[in-house]
Amino acid sequence: MSNAQLSVRDLEVRFPTSRGVVEAVNGVSFDLERGQMLGIVGESGSGKSVTAKTLMNLLPRTAEISGDIHFDGEDVRAIASGHRKHFWGVKMTMVFQDPMTSLNPVKRCGEQISETLRYHLGMSREAALKRSIDLLEQVGIPEPARRVKQYPHELSGGLRQRVVIAMALACEPELLIADEPTTAVDVTVQKRLLDLLDELRRDRGMSMILITHDLGVARGRCDEVAVMYAGRLVERAETEVLFSDARHPYTTALLRTIPRIDQPSHTRLVPIEGRPPELVNPPDQCSFAPRCRHAQADCLEGVPTLTNLDGNREFACRYPANTEAGRTSFFANEAAGQTVTGLTIAQPSEVN
Amino acid sequence: MIASVPEPNAAIDGAVEKKLGWAFWLSVAWIGGLALAAVAAPWLPIKDPDVLGAAPRAGLFSDNLLGTDALGRDVLARTVWGARISLGVGSVGIILGLTVGGTLGIISGYFRGVVDQLISFVFFSLLSFPSLVLALLITATLSRSFWTVAMTLGILGIAPIGRLARATTIQFAEREFVQASRVLGAKNGRIIVRELLPNVLIPMGALTLLGMGISIVAEGSLAFLGLSVEGDAISWGKSIVDGSQVRDLTENAHVALVPIVAMFLTVLALNFAGDRLREYTDVKETAF
Amino acid sequence: MAKFLLRRVVQLVAVLLAVTFLAFSALNFLGDPLVNVVGPLAAIPDCDLVEAGLREDTFSTAGNIGDCEVVSRARAQYNLDKSVPERYVRWVGDLLTGDLGSSFQTGLPVSEIVREKMPKSLLLMVMAEIVALAIAIPVGVLAAYRAGRRLDRVTSVGSFGLLSVPNFALGVILLQVFALRNRLLPASFDDSTLWTRLHSLLLPSIVLGLGIAASYQRLLRTDLLTTLQEDFVNMARAKGMPDRHVMVRHALRPSLFSLITLFGLNTGALIGGSLVVERIFSIPGIGSEIVTAVIRDDFPVVLGAVVVIATGFVVINFLVDLLYTWLDPRVRVS
Repeated sequence: MSNAQLSVRDLEVRFPTSRGVVEAVNGVSFDLERGQMLGIVGESGSGKSVTAKTLMNLLPRTAEISGDIHFDGEDVRAIASGHRKHFWGVKMTMVFQDPMTSLNPVKRCGEQISETLRYHLGMSREAALKRSIDLLEQVGIPEPARRVKQYPHELSGGLRQRVVIAMALACEPELLIADEPTTAVDVTVQKRLLDLLDELRRDRGMSMILITHDLGVARGRCDEVAVMYAGRLVERAETEVLFSDARHPYTTALLRTIPRIDQPSHTRLVPIEGRPPELVNPPDQCSFAPRCRHAQADCLEGVPTLTNLDGNREFACRYPANTEAGRTSFFANEAAGQTVTGLTIAQPSEVN
Repeated sequence: MIASVPEPNAAIDGAVEKKLGWAFWLSVAWIGGLALAAVAAPWLPIKDPDVLGAAPRAGLFSDNLLGTDALGRDVLARTVWGARISLGVGSVGIILGLTVGGTLGIISGYFRGVVDQLISFVFFSLLSFPSLVLALLITATLSRSFWTVAMTLGILGIAPIGRLARATTIQFAEREFVQASRVLGAKNGRIIVRELLPNVLIPMGALTLLGMGISIVAEGSLAFLGLSVEGDAISWGKSIVDGSQVRDLTENAHVALVPIVAMFLTVLALNFAGDRLREYTDVKETAF
Repeated sequence: MAKFLLRRVVQLVAVLLAVTFLAFSALNFLGDPLVNVVGPLAAIPDCDLVEAGLREDTFSTAGNIGDCEVVSRARAQYNLDKSVPERYVRWVGDLLTGDLGSSFQTGLPVSEIVREKMPKSLLLMVMAEIVALAIAIPVGVLAAYRAGRRLDRVTSVGSFGLLSVPNFALGVILLQVFALRNRLLPASFDDSTLWTRLHSLLLPSIVLGLGIAASYQRLLRTDLLTTLQEDFVNMARAKGMPDRHVMVRHALRPSLFSLITLFGLNTGALIGGSLVVERIFSIPGIGSEIVTAVIRDDFPVVLGAVVVIATGFVVINFLVDLLYTWLDPRVRVS
């Protein structure tokens, strides 16, 4: 067992449905050091939100969970089934995608912040309200004394997300999980909110998991980025390493979908072909193979294991990009015009 | 993008199955069987419901299978014969409500404007009476024949049925296929009958079953107020009232319980079948 | 807001006029109110001729001049010599001054009858609502909390079944079990003290309340299940608030608004139910009074009572609408 603040081992989450068992999360492991920021990146359905909800004990009862989650040496899944007073909300908390829906429409903003303080810290009504006003001020909301008396719909989207952040930070949590915290707000507001979160995090020495589908958001903020695909972790590395020298073809494909300042302005953004796989009874193969331009015959035999190289990076691919094996496999596919799964490689594109 | 992770609650609440299920068919069978028994009552091998027997207040499984009432009349026979009136006023009532309410609702929803406002106001006024009070108002002044009671129950149905018909019509009148036939120059009458009616009738099916249940209960309520069908006519409501005298309830509860159980099972079957049918034909789900 | 209020008040007045007119004309067109006052004398065919001075002989075809005088006095007394619209206008005028006319049978003013009988019926209905809410809210919340589990299934089946039991059937069964067979609760109304009043209304209010409880429970459960899917519920749980707090303070509150609407709609069924329940448990309320009046063809009493009930129903729904807009912050602003 590592001495990381959060350690997740072999996490699996399955949902029995009428169509079959959905394997939403499949063997995910990672560590998070105190004060660090981890980005989890993936498309919708990649299992990143389910992972977050598992950590927060928010999954419906029908979910079948296995694996170990330890926070500060405490077994989180044991806390979930036993006495769980003052763990979530105090040690670990979460903010959600949509500020419009994550505030209760029929409760005043102040009430929603102060109930946490009153419950976890046993504050009096007055003290909690006063503290709520302070918190609103800290997250940069003007006229906080007036805002606490307002209902959520009276505030703009940006302000609401600030209220949500204030609410999450009320009890000085040690770990904050932010699930796409800025997707629902204006682009102009996005950066300011992310900067705010970053600043608050540094001030408090808080660890953070940032869940996003946008690699660009993770860059420059996260210490480490984990890429998820079809319920599995496919690559994890320090942020700069990942951006400059990614190994998993899915990561490189993701990187090609975002505009980058360090590349010439005419560089084309390339969408990823194909669709994310079904999670019901997935075949025993690399789940990205059908969309992968490196795919070889043995990619369809067994799921590639996550290999840990020099300790600060790991990936699950037999023909990784930016390596000799990867280049060879790609050129072979390009010469054939299509991959082993039938994906056509239309025009010659840049080597990766 | 594909949301491969299911909505958590679809699993909890059971995704709506596109099957009516055995319980639905069981309900239909009960209602059908009962209707058949009611129609065939004169030829069934049961006792004469009006003959005053020699053994009043006989218990269950005596000479009379389900016992006799205070006047010695056979409870089983009276329950079967009671179904004639109870189901009869129920179905005639709901048919009346459907015809009048449905027509008004479709007209109101299709033409909109002043007609709509007028009809909607009438619906609203009718709904402003607690339904039993409205029924009381109508039956109070008239002789209470089978047809007046049925008509009263029908009038109760007009406003709720009409409102649903109106809402459905409005919903469909704006759909492309109706707009298309309008553009192609189809006459209003044709559009209503050919395009709208079939779609409006779908939710009406469920409402018919639910409404019949309400009508049967309403007949019972009227009976308790002494306002059900007059004279010797037998209905479940009247049988329950007959069996609810204190002496009967203390010594011979089955006189009231047998028609109560018959009514309960029928209303339950109607409610259940109606509910399933409504889920099954829910326009929102089958729209695309 | 003021404009909205004004529009609603105008609508309310229009509906009240329509309702009273409907009730008034139903009783006037569907039967001859004169019959109720003078009995068979109303059928004397030639009285109008006598009145008009066209026939001066002592005997008309069916009765004598004395009978005709009775008829014409009754006509004048109850305004029956006027046309229906004119009588309606007069009647509304009287209504506004609190005069609902007098009973044909006893001569007592209808307003007095209503004042005496109404409180008992109101008490019954209020108690029934309390019973309904006391059952429906906890059961609904528990069912939603344990959605899909046994408790939920049992209560769902139970409330569906309960909705199919007519309230008179429930009344008869509970009367038999709890009042006649076991004598746990009184079988009929006892007006002597406040305690006996409440005590003797307990069983009737349970009968009336159970059906309503079932419909409340069903609504609350579905509504809560939808609310529990909301992000703000996840947020509240992520804040570490205990389940009880999340259910009651976060999920239940928005769902109560739908309950308020259903409360308004259910009042009609409640009133209808109380008419029947009053009969079963011999409660001398407004329901029993109407039924007696209907059987005796006592036209002013029926009309007066129906109008009071319908007005109450319309006004309650109006107030529920106002309450709804006033309570729900989402609606309040727009």
